[in-house]
Formats: sequence, C-alpha cells, structure tokens
Amino acid sequence: MAQNDNLEKKSSISAEDLARLSKEAEEEATPSSRKIIWNEFKADKAAMTSVIIIVAFILFVVIASFFIPAHDYKEVNIMSYFNKPFTPDFWLGADSSGRSIAKLLIVGSRNSIGIAIGLTFISGAFGIAYGLISGYFGGITDMIMSRIYDFMIMLPQLMFIIVLVTIIQNYNAVTLTLILSLFQWMGTSRLIRSRSLAESRKDYVAASKTSGTGNFRIIFREIMPNISSLIIVEMTLSFAANLGVETGLSFLGFGLPNGTPSLGTLMANATDPTNITQYWWTWIFAAIEIIVLCLAVSYVGQALRRAADSSQRLGME
Amino acid sequence: MSLIEVKDLEVHYPIRSGFWNRVTDEVLAVDGISLDIEAGETYGLVGESGSGKSTTGKSIVGLEKPTKGQILYKGKDITKPRNRHELDYNQDVQMIFQDSLSSLNPRKRIEDIIAEPLRNFAHLSKDDEKLRVLQLLDIVGLDADALYKYPHQFSGGQRQRIGVARAVATNPKLIVADEPVSALDLSVQAQVLNFMKKIQRDFGVSYLFISHDLGVVRHMCDNIAIMHRGRIVEIGTRDDIYNHPMHIYTKRLLSAIPETSVEHREEAREHREAVEKEFQENQDRYYDKDGKVLPLIAVTDTHKVAMPQDEVDELQREDD
Repeated sequence: MAQNDNLEKKSSISAEDLARLSKEAEEEATPSSRKIIWNEFKADKAAMTSVIIIVAFILFVVIASFFIPAHDYKEVNIMSYFNKPFTPDFWLGADSSGRSIAKLLIVGSRNSIGIAIGLTFISGAFGIAYGLISGYFGGITDMIMSRIYDFMIMLPQLMFIIVLVTIIQNYNAVTLTLILSLFQWMGTSRLIRSRSLAESRKDYVAASKTSGTGNFRIIFREIMPNISSLIIVEMTLSFAANLGVETGLSFLGFGLPNGTPSLGTLMANATDPTNITQYWWTWIFAAIEIIVLCLAVSYVGQALRRAADSSQRLGME
Repeated sequence: MSLIEVKDLEVHYPIRSGFWNRVTDEVLAVDGISLDIEAGETYGLVGESGSGKSTTGKSIVGLEKPTKGQILYKGKDITKPRNRHELDYNQDVQMIFQDSLSSLNPRKRIEDIIAEPLRNFAHLSKDDEKLRVLQLLDIVGLDADALYKYPHQFSGGQRQRIGVARAVATNPKLIVADEPVSALDLSVQAQVLNFMKKIQRDFGVSYLFISHDLGVVRHMCDNIAIMHRGRIVEIGTRDDIYNHPMHIYTKRLLSAIPETSVEHREEAREHREAVEKEFQENQDRYYDKDGKVLPLIAVTDTHKVAMPQDEVDELQREDD
C-alpha cells in the first residue's frame, strides 16, 4: 500500500480521527428526499387524506378477504335474490344469485387491486429497464429497441388481449396480469428513454466511466436514482390507469374467469337496464370505489410530482 | 520513455444527411496530432473552442473512440477497450471536468462520489475507505462535514475541488484536466490551481491541462501545444511559446491575452490590430489550400511549428 502511505504523509488526518470526524459529518448531513416528500404530504391535506384512504382500504380489503371463505361469495342462494342493501345480513345488498355485494366487493377489490399492482410493477419494471438501456446506449441499440417499441405500439392491444385470453384455456389472475403486462410497458419506456437519453450525456456519467464503473451499474445506480422522481410519479399514475385496464376488460367479459369476483364483473351488472334502474346497489358501490381510488391515487401522484420539482413545492422545510 | 504517447490521433464524426441518412461528410474534430506526455510534467493544450482539444483529452481518458491513430501507455495501445481493461487504465489516468456541477452525480453524497473510483479499483475495507475519503477531502482543503452532503450544497470552487479529490483518489499517474477552472471566477481559479499544483508536488502526477486561457496555462504548464482546426500549429516549452512564438495563430492567441494597464491601451490595441493584419495577409501561406494546418517542422529540439520550411529558415536568419 505504497500509495496509501504517501497519502498518509501528506494529510494531517490519521486513523485515530476517523470516528470523531465521521460523527461530525453525520451531524451536518442533509435531509433526505424522503423528508421532502413527507413535508409535501403534510402541506397538502387532500394528498394526505388520499394516502390514508388508499393504504387503509388496501389493508382492509386484503385482510378482510382472508376471513371470507370462497363458498360465501360463490354459492347461489335463491332466497336472497336481489336483497335490498343496508339490512343486517346484506350490508350492501345482494345480486341476482343472492350473493352478498359487500363480500363480492371486498374479494373483487383485492383481485382487481392485486392485478393493478402486479401489472404496474411488472410492466413498470420492464418499461423502465427498456427505456433506460435504450437511452443510455443510444446508436444501433437504441435504433433496434425503438423499432421493437414502434411495432408493439402499432398492435391493436385490446384485440390481442381478448384473443390471448380466449386461446389460453386455464388462465387466472396471474396469467392475466402477465398478458396485460405484455402490452402495458410501452408508455413508460418511451418516457424513461427520453430522460435517459438526456441524462446519460451528462458529465457525471462520463466521470463514472473514467472511475471504472460498469455500464449496467451506471444505468441502474447512477442514472436511475436521478430520474427516480419521474419514475415514482409515472408508476403512481399508471397504477390508476391499470386499475381501469382490468376493470374494463372484465366489464367487457374478457377479464378474470367466471366466478372470480372483481370490480369489473361487479360493474358488468350495469349492462342490464333493469339493474341500472331498479337494482342499483349491484354496481354503484364498485363504481364509487373505482372513482374514489383513482382520484386518491392521482392526488398522491400530484403531490409526488410537486415534491420532485422544487419550483412547484408547497411543503416548506 | 514518455508516460503517454499520442500518435497521429484522429477523431472524425460523420455528418449524415439526405433522404437515406447516409454519411455525406465528416467533421475532422481531431485530425492527426501527436503528443508525448512525460511523468510529472504539466502539458498545456491550448486552442479556441472547436479546435479539438477537449476531444483529444477525452480520447486519452478513453471516453471518445478515435477513428485512427494510437495512444500508447506502458507500450500498449489503449484506444482498444480490451487493453484499457487489462491495464486497469483508468486507475492511472483520470479526468477533471469543466462543469463541476454536472460532473458530480446530484443524487450521491460526497463520500460516495469520491469513493467511487476507490470501490472499483482499490477494494478497501469500509473504515479504510472512509479514512481515505477524509484524507482526500483534507488534501483539497475541505472539512469532514462535507462527507454526507450533496454536490448542490457547495460553491463552484468547492465542487471543483471535490472533482480534483475524486480524480486523485486512486493515485493516478496522469490527470486530464479539461478546462478545470474556466467556469470559476478569478480568485477561486487561483485557489483550485494551487491545490492542483500542490497535489502535483506531493504525488508526482502529470497533468494534461486543456484550456483556452493562456494566462492560466503560463502559470501551470511546462510544455504547451497550440491547437487549431483539429491539428497542432505549434508545440514547445513555455519559453518557446511565450517568448518565441513563430506561427501567426500563436501570435494572434498571445495578443488576445487581456492586459489591465490603462496607459498602454492604445499601444496594445495597435499591436493586436497589427497581429490580426499579419494573420489575415499570411493565412494562405500558413494553411494549405483546404484551410488545413501544415505539417510540423522542428525548429529546435523542443520547438516545432506548422509552417513552410522557407519561412522557418527566414525567421532563423533574422534571429541570427
């Protein structure tokens, strides 16, 4: 360690000072971005309420669905045919098969939200990686990856999903999520690619290269943290959109298989005119839930966006 | 043997145009330059913007892929990525960037920034690494409380010193300094330059000092190469360049160094105008018909200049 000795001679700092100096440094450390986001939510009451609503609702739905056995929402009970809501046995009424809307709603929400989260993570992760790599390497890599992107965006996505769902015999929530992910990553990847293109031409990337850091380390450890605010906002907002994807498909009858409740299948009750006018409780609670969730998520997304952009920030230090 | 030998380096960029986006022309950013950088010296690379000096610097660090030519380090051509990898080349050759803010990752703390080359090349234990970073900060005159701060919390001069600390972290043999002080104001420039000089004395590192500021270059450099239009027009020691400039472009650059004496304002202006007139009149003799710089001719052992042989003889006769 000849070079180390050299440094030791020229610097007045030696090993004994290490503990004292690092303590000094910790006292002077700067607040993290977590703190900034927290301040932003404290300043925006609507966003704060939204976070609480989303977190509480998801927790409730996931936990509650464990206590609802499958036969509870699957078995037909002719005696409670279109039971009115707000009664002791049926809090939110019953549908044409006499199944409790409240139980369907809880289990259905869990399925729909689960698919939306899975979809957001899978398609998001793929889209982010695709965009980052395409933008970072540029040149021929970017050319090929962009043409693949163009091809994917050209496909009629809804048609493909419907055909795939019809072809695959035994599909469930997991396969549906994967099929949907196949067609959902493009928007994210395009957005990330443009930022990655700009970011990877900056000097700190060149500095990392001369420091001997490998390409993929630079992409995921240097560039990705710098566009993390964009990623968080994009993921949050696409979660709201993905909630709609599954719901829309199930509404059309191509989403989850029969007998698996979801927000979409509950919404599908509204395809019947008598249900819309007379038996409104079969679909209206699902509709309200979708509206509330999407609004809440978009409020959260806006607060995150403001936290990422210091000129829009509401929260003060 | 020199530390680094650059031989006939060329970096050309294609210009694409037309319907098929074909290569229709080339930008000759660097068009055949040769340099020898000795261990422990400061080599100045001077020229106007667009003269290819930064591209040369980037090629030497390995950030730019040369079209032709060789860069020899320890007898190996490091323009090939494989050789760079084999030699752990960037442990020995580092870079200081012009824009101190964009060259430091805004999402990383100073500790992680300075430790980055250490993590890749030195593989120290956690405590050793932190100690190293603290010592490096101390060498560039920064306190330990900088350790967990982010780059935007520092002034331009402090940031550039952090850049210097990162560059010397692996104890390199050559640091390419690409206009390290041109974004700073004068008093801070002097401070950063003095830290760089101190580091050179202490560690025996060589600098390739890229600048357009001839005053700064005079303060820093032992040998100087003047670049114009991607080629070297004059190369020599500090004395050769500042006291015996031969090429009209060098003379023109030197006359552009600002002077602060108010009394001699008129004289200085007349001198500048005379130099400019000489440049305009003699341009076609010092550059070939495509506007390219002529091949270099040795005047003395250290001094080479790109001008016709008969001009050199004439000038030498005048000197005698």
